[in-house]
Amino acid sequence: MTNDSNACFAAKAERISTAGAGQHQRAGLATCVTASASSGAKVLRFFSRTALLAFCLLGGAAHADPSAGFLETVHRHATLTSTITDNGDVNPYAVVVSPVTAGKIAKDDVLVDNFNNISNLQGTGTTIVGFRPGTRDTYLFAKLPQHLPQCPGGIGLTTAMAVLKSGWVIVGSTPSRDGTTATKGDGCLVVLDSSGRFVTAWAGPNINDPWGNMGIDDHGASATLFVSMAGFGVPSPSVLDPATGLPVVVKKSIVLRLGLTIPDGKPPVLASQTIVGSGFAQRADRDNFLLGPTGIVLAPDGTLYVTDGLDNLIAAIPDALTRTTSAGTGRVVTQGGLLSWPLAMALSPQGHLLVCNGKDGRLVEVDPAAGKQIYAQWINNDQAQSPPGNGDLFGIAMTPDAKGFYYVMDDVNTLMRAGGR
Amino acid sequence: MRVIRISAIVTALGGWTTQALAAPPPLSVPINVDQATPDGQGYSGFLSDLSRTNFLLGNLFGIRTVLARYGISLAVQETSEVLGNATGGVHRGPTYDGLTQAIMQLDTQRAFGWYGGLLNISALQIHGRNLSTDNLLSLQTASGIEADRSTRLWEAWYDQRFLDEDRADIKIGQQSVDQEFIYSPNGAYFVNTMFGWPLVPSVDLPGGGPAYPLSDLGIRLRYRPINAIALLAGVFNGNPAPTSDGDPQRADRSGTSFPLNGGTLTFVELQYSYPAVGALVYPGDGAPLGHTYRVGFWYDSERFSDQRIDTGGNLLASPAGIGEPFHRRGDYSIYAVADQMVWRDSALPNRSVSVFGRIMGTPEADRNLADFSFNGGVVYHGPFRGRLTDTIGLGAGYAHVSHAVTAFDRDTAATQPDVYTPARTSETFVELTYQYQFHPWWQLQPDLQYVFNPGGGLANPVDPSRKVGSEFVLGLRTNILF
Repeated sequence: MTNDSNACFAAKAERISTAGAGQHQRAGLATCVTASASSGAKVLRFFSRTALLAFCLLGGAAHADPSAGFLETVHRHATLTSTITDNGDVNPYAVVVSPVTAGKIAKDDVLVDNFNNISNLQGTGTTIVGFRPGTRDTYLFAKLPQHLPQCPGGIGLTTAMAVLKSGWVIVGSTPSRDGTTATKGDGCLVVLDSSGRFVTAWAGPNINDPWGNMGIDDHGASATLFVSMAGFGVPSPSVLDPATGLPVVVKKSIVLRLGLTIPDGKPPVLASQTIVGSGFAQRADRDNFLLGPTGIVLAPDGTLYVTDGLDNLIAAIPDALTRTTSAGTGRVVTQGGLLSWPLAMALSPQGHLLVCNGKDGRLVEVDPAAGKQIYAQWINNDQAQSPPGNGDLFGIAMTPDAKGFYYVMDDVNTLMRAGGR
Repeated sequence: MRVIRISAIVTALGGWTTQALAAPPPLSVPINVDQATPDGQGYSGFLSDLSRTNFLLGNLFGIRTVLARYGISLAVQETSEVLGNATGGVHRGPTYDGLTQAIMQLDTQRAFGWYGGLLNISALQIHGRNLSTDNLLSLQTASGIEADRSTRLWEAWYDQRFLDEDRADIKIGQQSVDQEFIYSPNGAYFVNTMFGWPLVPSVDLPGGGPAYPLSDLGIRLRYRPINAIALLAGVFNGNPAPTSDGDPQRADRSGTSFPLNGGTLTFVELQYSYPAVGALVYPGDGAPLGHTYRVGFWYDSERFSDQRIDTGGNLLASPAGIGEPFHRRGDYSIYAVADQMVWRDSALPNRSVSVFGRIMGTPEADRNLADFSFNGGVVYHGPFRGRLTDTIGLGAGYAHVSHAVTAFDRDTAATQPDVYTPARTSETFVELTYQYQFHPWWQLQPDLQYVFNPGGGLANPVDPSRKVGSEFVLGLRTNILF
């Protein structure tokens, strides 16, 4: 490979992820053409350059957008580990990064839980996998029993998971016996110690199938969690809406704020519960178990952003840390467009929302202040689904250096890292 | 697949047995995909929720759990079908044939912490009869699972990923190249053989090439210089059978002869896919309509029999000739495959329409039965309300008999005027199929095919004064995932 063709590789790589800058795009194309025109007679070189030229031409129609976003800085997508545990649990959901070293966990470890068991029944996964980026070791952090007296319906670990600075791990359970909401239980929030041992579980009238990724404001001795509850009044998926032919939509989902106090050396205590959002859409689904608000991000200004997949929008709940009443479904930040059943969500260094699509393999970047969708990046392109990547994405978390993000791919049960090294 | 009886002519020429190799219905190994099944309790627990399971036998009585501890996953699928021709052919009537596939995979990271390794072993149990052999004599055989009755090893390979972002992987061992090369995912929904492994390699390569139910020792490299492009290159033994004579499946009944005594078969394929991981999409860009385009070629260094000339330079059809075909070194073909989604429902994205096409040809007409083939069609996922998991497909295939074979037929007609020997030219078929998902583990697939000019215009051995008549084939296939 000659230097000029390497330049072409580099230019193209930049174009793929930086097509937001029109200048970059044109420069990339010119470089590729130059490289191809100067190619020699060797077959390998010919093929590689022809391929690159073809790609330049095929990709040349990409749009340019002057808005600077985070995703254009993300170039690398690497598989880190399989998320399947030794008991065969599959379907990775939550992705969280530990802020602390304690027990089994080291700071910056990535924890991923599984929603399905080996038979791939939804709502029956009981395991949490840990991945240590520094050593690339994968370990089993926790394996819970299928049934806990404190958790109505059993265990099926969801996208709701957090590691507190004090080392305690909180994880949601939305259980089922047959993989559908026909047999779902109300579930609970499970508290684990830093070695993955069960400590206690929180249940109650406000806790009904904790579902989406958690928003968190952690001060060590106290913490505030935000969790969506998507199970209120959800019937079996066989209960259909005659108008749509799909399972009925129930607008009873809530976003619950949990106030925790964490006595030194003792488990967290659930001190308060406040419903800060309510009336979000939810329904059963045979393929996806449950559709409901799944992504939650707490912005530094106290605004809570929530993805409402069924209505295909992102909502904002103001003053989420302090409000005492429900904001209902909040204010619509953005709807439709690049969003396609938005799921879990993370916050970029620019303060932009990074939203996983459920109905395709794209991650959408949204400027919440402007209410504007900047662009989306394909992070799963599995063409076995229609559209590509449909149903493959779920959890997401920023890397500690904020140069990239972790995400999971349901289709192959793997943890990925995008951006950085 | 199966041996088509025009092979009597080819065998007389001393060439490869003419056959149409196939590709069976795709089979996913369960641990790596999202497929729901009930967690049956006890030995009959799986019976409690057959409507939910993706596997008839659920957790296989606990076997899957045991295997998972060692990073092993297992899939078993039965495909059975009854196909019959209502018109045309040399005989009429239905036949039954079936295939049991078993695939076991070991993930080395889950087994012992070695990243990026996958060991794959698969086996086939083929049963029933072959409609194409018994009744149709078509070049483009009616079913992709038709093959000789046998229980045989199919593939046994190890794949290792390497380079940053897994940009390359190398696969070594016994491989069936139809699983990766010249592949069209949309074509996999159809029943006719040609939508799996197309005609040109089926009838031109030694033994039909390393495709279902055969495979070949070899090595394959895949490299992604950028995310949108993949380059596949593989070198395999030139013939999947240990001998060049007769039916290659009978020459290796168990699939364990592992021949390395032939020349080499080289495959190179370039793939371009959209969307690629990392690609950016902007508001207003429209629906993500995925597509994959492939171009490639193969070259086989084996000896190939001339279709018209003998070793003495005389016509093979001439009574004065010595009957031993002239041997030529090497054969090659180029091809292109396109799969393109053209529509998806904005509200229910699982509903979509895709088109596909595959074209393949070889200029080496003197040594090949077929010098050109094409197949393509349209596939509609979720065609009816409430049937999002069903698929309907309309496809067609065309095969052109090489000029050398046409000339051989004319030579035969001229030298044996008392024997009706029409000059074979081309064969065309159309297929309409509907895959109905009765349960996630059980599909039913009614299928209609119509074949024009079977065999390219072959004389009917039962009524030697006429060609084999055009055939209307209908049938029902079922897939059951255990």
